[in-house]
Amino acid sequence: MGSPIPDAHKPELPAEQIILTYHDGTSRTVYDTGIERAYPDGKLIVSRTDLNGVITHVNDAFVEISGYHVDELIGQQHYILRHPDMPKAAYKDLWDTAAAGQKWHGYVKNLCKDGSHYWVYATVVPNIRRGETVGYTSVRRKPSRSKIEAAMAQYAQMKQNEEG
Amino acid sequence: MTTHNMLIAPDFSPERFAGWHMFNTLIQKRANLNMHLNIPASHAEQEQVINAGDIQVIYANPFDAATLIREQGYRAVARPIGKSDEMVIAAGANSEINRLEDIQAGATVAMADNRDVKLIGLRLLEAVDIEEADLQWDVTETYQAAARKVIKGDAQAAFFLAEIFHSFSRLTKTQLTVLIESDLADISHVLLIKDGFSDTQIFMDAILNLHNDDEGKEALAELGMPQGFEAMTEEDAEFMIDLMQTLLD
Repeated sequence: MGSPIPDAHKPELPAEQIILTYHDGTSRTVYDTGIERAYPDGKLIVSRTDLNGVITHVNDAFVEISGYHVDELIGQQHYILRHPDMPKAAYKDLWDTAAAGQKWHGYVKNLCKDGSHYWVYATVVPNIRRGETVGYTSVRRKPSRSKIEAAMAQYAQMKQNEEG
Repeated sequence: MTTHNMLIAPDFSPERFAGWHMFNTLIQKRANLNMHLNIPASHAEQEQVINAGDIQVIYANPFDAATLIREQGYRAVARPIGKSDEMVIAAGANSEINRLEDIQAGATVAMADNRDVKLIGLRLLEAVDIEEADLQWDVTETYQAAARKVIKGDAQAAFFLAEIFHSFSRLTKTQLTVLIESDLADISHVLLIKDGFSDTQIFMDAILNLHNDDEGKEALAELGMPQGFEAMTEEDAEFMIDLMQTLLD
């Protein structure tokens, strides 16, 4: 089954090619250059989605670090940012928690358009309006190096279990 | 004529004091309202005044706005354009602390009593593995006093409301090293009105048109809001509150 998000462009830098399959059964080719982008100091990276995970709002910091143009993001599934190193269980936990009306926190490795990546500490809250959840807001902050390293080890283990 | 009450959150630079009086005088004249200006000296006093009731208009900081909107029957109607609430973490220029990473557990942080500045500062320090319990807190009467503490070496770092930090004299600023300044952009003070405030429309017309003439521009300049106010929808306010919820822990 084809994905509504087009395959990523092959970067000029050496990169691993990976076919990612998302929770909705669609798949897409992405590239991982292994290059990390620095989190912008002092800023929050903010996005909002509808109930189906479709992006409805991104702030300037989000656009800048992702490498995409804003028009390539709005209306697209939020999993456009999913990095192949992220275990499926982490996203499942995020969506299950948010769908239950709870706040979710976690460390996330996001994929940029050019195959580089950046780490964030993300908090997702449901947008509750007159008692009804109408969407989700995700706000990312800069994580510490020690927390990134701990998350890397944990996610690598989780990925191994996924494959095993 | 009925007299309404307007309250201004106390976390502004002292030099803005006259601006709030100019603002109130102009709004009264233009909206033909009697408006009593309440400027509490502290956050505790602000809460007391609001809880006593009869405050129709509040210029609230974003974290208080969340409670006032969701629990106390206020709604956000306007915010200053291009004036987000930011904070600065600084160390003494002569100290050995030159980067955020140099702040170690056990360090003393001087700051005036402002929970929002503290909260945002703590969020920024997460990036260097420093949490609230790792620090000693020296709460000063004013931000100027916090600056003196860190310059003298009585504290290793100080937290400031960015606007107040930038209003310090050049001499003070040369004795401080900025370790980080927040750039949250989406969070600002907001103008709230109590549900049922009968003069909303005329009040809003006066607020949103302040930047259109010289007298209004002068008051706005005194307030450090040269671009004036913009209207806010209910959803704008809800979005900001959602965003702030993510910063609480």
